[in-house]
Amino acid sequence: MPAQTKSAAKLQGAWWKYTAGLLMAYVIYGAFAIAHGAIGFAEKGVAARVIFFHVPCAVLSSVAYFAGMCYAVRYLYSSHRKSLKDDWYSAAAMELGFLFCILCTLTGSIFAGIQWGSFWNWDPRETSIVIMLLLYASYLLLRTGLSRSPEKKARLSAVYTIVALVPAQFLIWVVPRILATMHPTTTLTDPRMTSITYKMVLYPSFAAFTLLFIWLMQLRVRSLRILALRKERALRRISEKY
Amino acid sequence: MNSMPWHKQAAALWKKDIRAEMRTRVATGSMGVFALSALLLIALSMLSVKGVEYRDALGRLKPAWDDAGKMALLWTLLCFAAFTGLAHPFVHEEESGTSLALRLYMSAEAVYAGKLLFNLTTLAAMMLVITPAYMLLTGMNTGRLILFFPIMIGGCFGLGSVATVVAALAAKAKSSGALFGAIGLPILVVFLILLMQAAHLCYAGNATPISIVKDVGGLVSFGVMIVALSAMLFHFIWDD
Repeated sequence: MPAQTKSAAKLQGAWWKYTAGLLMAYVIYGAFAIAHGAIGFAEKGVAARVIFFHVPCAVLSSVAYFAGMCYAVRYLYSSHRKSLKDDWYSAAAMELGFLFCILCTLTGSIFAGIQWGSFWNWDPRETSIVIMLLLYASYLLLRTGLSRSPEKKARLSAVYTIVALVPAQFLIWVVPRILATMHPTTTLTDPRMTSITYKMVLYPSFAAFTLLFIWLMQLRVRSLRILALRKERALRRISEKY
Repeated sequence: MNSMPWHKQAAALWKKDIRAEMRTRVATGSMGVFALSALLLIALSMLSVKGVEYRDALGRLKPAWDDAGKMALLWTLLCFAAFTGLAHPFVHEEESGTSLALRLYMSAEAVYAGKLLFNLTTLAAMMLVITPAYMLLTGMNTGRLILFFPIMIGGCFGLGSVATVVAALAAKAKSSGALFGAIGLPILVVFLILLMQAAHLCYAGNATPISIVKDVGGLVSFGVMIVALSAMLFHFIWDD
């Protein structure tokens, strides 16, 4: 097996997929049955339950970018012959980042509508996630525009991923810290911020979403590989014909 | 490959681009016409709020369109104007087929530096014309001059650096004109947020030295990081 696929293929077999399914079922059950309504939140604290879905999506939308960027760097700077597999992993991570960004925006907007009375409040974190969404959309758009040669597409989209890391870094680390935000900033870092019932659901929720992310990434890479093979076969057939 | 050092190659490319631009005036012309039309539209559409005041949450009277708001609109205008013309140096090389000659005679770093210099020169020229005209039409004040100039220069540098690398990427794609704005503007939104944050300092009476260093430093570091990454990665874009 090529070295570049080893890290992503470490999770082999079906056990971790069953674990992901069980954990996700537990999180959905726990969000409504284990965690109690939180103090200070609308609808007798019910609105706070969104944390189990919104926060992992927000974290994964950033993690996906870093994963995409790492594979992009690996593609560009691999000393041996460049492998398109790195590009597929990078593209899959970016596509999933886009998906998790949409989920994060939707869950956040529903929460904002219930808690703050408006579905959009121009909070710095709200703005950040929408710009992140735009960055992912630009990446996907660039790939569409570069569809002629797979190597060129891989090379140029890898460059874009790395250059767009600068605004992504500012969005994740700088903007929410230099502008006043309505979002709590210590939910994950300060253990006193969440009760034990919340911790019992929130931490498994991170594990469930992360496993789901890896699973989806593997599926997407497999589909990209099939698409590339089909294209290659079609080209070979045309060249044999003429 | 040319035996000249890279900075001399970059200077030669910059001179060549300036000469070509003086001959055709495509980039400066399109940016100038766009900026002036947009300026006129902004000035006309904002007539209704000129001089209007409102009470904020604390009951204080504030102008509906203050200087910081005017500055924000000026930079939005400059960003869009820049994106109408700054792709031209790369698109022109690809369309006229001269990019191959450049690849043979110059290093990728020299091409990047030359194109960046040309874009910065064009942007600076546009800003020198548009900013005073905008200030005249809208009544925008400069606020603290000691901050106004570094913010304008930092803004020009950041805008030019993003536009150069995005133009190089878009020139290699299908429908590069449409892609240029679509892939460049999301990066610039973050830059504009930093710029607005820094621009507020020009008009804020209580700006501390720490906030000045933090906000102006954030603005300048954005441009520096984009230039550093672009210089490192440009040969992947340029060498086919």
